[in-house]
Amino acid sequence: MPIPTLSQSLVITLIQCLLVVIFVFVVVPLTVFAERKVLGYLQQRLGSTRVASGHIGITGWMNRGMWKMGRVPVLSYWRGIPGLVADVLKLILKEDILPAKADKFVFFIAPALSMVAAVVVFAAVSFVPGTFFTLPSWFPYVGGLPVSGGIADINVGLLWILGIASVGVYGIVLAGWASNSKYPLLGGLRSAAQMVSYEVPLALSLLAPVVLSASLNFGEMSARMATGLPAWALAPQILGFLLYLTCGFAETNRLPFDMPEAENELVAGFHTEYSGMKFGFFYLAEYINMTVVAALASGFFLGGPWLLPFGLQGLVNPYLPAFLSWFGEPHAIFFVVKIIFILFTYIWVRGTIPRYRYDQVMSVAWKYLIPMTLFNLLLAAAVRCFAV
Amino acid sequence: MFKNEEMEINLGPQHPSTHGVLRVKLRLDGETITHCRPMIGYLHRGVEKICENQTFFQGQVWTDRMDYCSAVANNLGWAEANEKLFGITVPRRAQYIRTMLNEFNRLASHLIWLATHALDIGAMTVFLYAFREREDILDMNEAFCGSRLTTTAFRIGGLREDLPPGFEKMVQKFLAKFPSCLEEYENLLNENRIWKKRTIGVAKLGAEDAIAMGVTGPVLRAAGVPYDIRKAFPYAAYAEMDFEVPTRTEADTYARYLVRMDEMRQSARIIQQCMDGMPEGPVMAKLPKILKAEVNEVYHATEAPKGEIGYYLVGEKGSSNPYRFHVRAPGFINLQSLPKMAEGGLIADIVAAIGTLDIVLGEIDR
Repeated sequence: MPIPTLSQSLVITLIQCLLVVIFVFVVVPLTVFAERKVLGYLQQRLGSTRVASGHIGITGWMNRGMWKMGRVPVLSYWRGIPGLVADVLKLILKEDILPAKADKFVFFIAPALSMVAAVVVFAAVSFVPGTFFTLPSWFPYVGGLPVSGGIADINVGLLWILGIASVGVYGIVLAGWASNSKYPLLGGLRSAAQMVSYEVPLALSLLAPVVLSASLNFGEMSARMATGLPAWALAPQILGFLLYLTCGFAETNRLPFDMPEAENELVAGFHTEYSGMKFGFFYLAEYINMTVVAALASGFFLGGPWLLPFGLQGLVNPYLPAFLSWFGEPHAIFFVVKIIFILFTYIWVRGTIPRYRYDQVMSVAWKYLIPMTLFNLLLAAAVRCFAV
Repeated sequence: MFKNEEMEINLGPQHPSTHGVLRVKLRLDGETITHCRPMIGYLHRGVEKICENQTFFQGQVWTDRMDYCSAVANNLGWAEANEKLFGITVPRRAQYIRTMLNEFNRLASHLIWLATHALDIGAMTVFLYAFREREDILDMNEAFCGSRLTTTAFRIGGLREDLPPGFEKMVQKFLAKFPSCLEEYENLLNENRIWKKRTIGVAKLGAEDAIAMGVTGPVLRAAGVPYDIRKAFPYAAYAEMDFEVPTRTEADTYARYLVRMDEMRQSARIIQQCMDGMPEGPVMAKLPKILKAEVNEVYHATEAPKGEIGYYLVGEKGSSNPYRFHVRAPGFINLQSLPKMAEGGLIADIVAAIGTLDIVLGEIDR
């Protein structure tokens, strides 16, 4: 296998960045759409059904047929997908209002900070162990070179992820502050307190996989957690998984911890004064953060890109190359399926439970989650000492 | 060393959870509410004055538009107050139908309360589940009187028309499924840890305070006072109905939730009894074309879903419109307990308190 020169590897990295950005901007709108639809079906309604060809073409014909039979058409699932494009267009075309008394520079920089911090985290996430695909030989300049499954294969990947994720908090706090308005200020204060508190149990719950896998590199960690332990990491780390997921919900400001934007208390929280694409950036950042949390959860606790737990992966390994030719890279698909499952859990939880009060959120973090994560860490250390 | 200031903030009049155009002026110390003053009047239309300039028959249309979530209950109070004023006896069948529709209305109102209250606290699925059942009740309203929300369901002296054909079937279908729907809501909320954390001990209002402030309805009953006008001063056909008045002693938001849920069960019971014991006969008393009042005054109170709704009417000799008309709106009186409930709590608690009071600004501002 040829060894790429520095400039060639830079080009390859650019290709990877492009792929990750495409992944993010495909997954995020689909999550938004899925949220509408899944919530809709949880709540016995249809979700978004407009802006699509519900009346013309084959779908329209079948839809009409099912309505006539007195049933809700299955295909109405897909109606509303063009609404995603319409949504983005609306955000871009909307008037961008700048409050008169806002701190203009910070007001502008805050959404960008949130968005950038959310996307950049993906640099250290490894989607596929080893090589993702090899570029065809006709490809100019970098033909025949392998493209690995993650952008940056750095040995402090987890630190990078946690560090950058905490930069995202600044976006929210600054947005609340710069708006120079009371509701955003309250939202910003809440998020400052909440996200700083939840970073502690989040980091502690991620420390358990670090202990178990003796690495900080995302790819290595997910490989060792998936192959070195029975039932991926779930058997020894089920507690850790649940704790991590709880903290992840809090870090991404999702129900039941959506304090900073608690719609029914603070109108829209920290982004009350934002409109247009600046608001869109916060919106996107929230969903990208959800994807990041889901990626970490599936990478560390759900076996990452591996299909089967209990050491059964060896059984399917011979068939994976064939699978490859039908579908695409199997590992990437397993990984993405797990991410989607976690994203579904997000929506599911949102449809099921109410919101905590602000002081209760804090007491959950400090009184319950931190002791439990410490206990979980001990558990992981014990597993490490005696089992692995 | 640090300057310590309280922040003044307006909750409303445009706010997602003030249930209309209520404005609450809050003073906050951090997130703790130190001072809370509800400010009303954004929806004032002068209903009382308008009614004084219209005939007794026309006035009912305006009662729909006070508490638009429980229009039938308002209609009932208006019709009965007028019947008291003119000494009209309503046929028994009309009484039964009125009672039944009034209880349906209580269900609809409590369902919309449950929906919005749960949504305020963040449980958005309950919102749509409750609206699903409310839809059936509105369909029945439509079948009975042609309109869904602002019903103008009754006439002074009885009903305009008898029940439409097929109405009984609709009612039985609804009653058959409603208990399981209630269970569905309770499964989502009753033992939900977050729901309990958000409601137990929140927005307390003890019996003494409640009585001192004239609070009525489920808020009072959740403080342990079994005062229900349907039992205390029976009207319509309530004297012949067998039902209980659910009470709790905790006097907090959770207790009010449980009381209202139990009330819905009792309402379903009353509806069943009305259907079973529905008498035959006319639905309208013999009335003159134009009602001319004597010098007379009445106060008639009925148990609306939100509490005691009282109509005070003064008649003038030979006049076909009331000389003076006043409404004792339950929401208006109940709202004055909001500062007592909210002060000392957090912002999230005032949202729960507004929800648990079950206010409708249409009747508060009138």
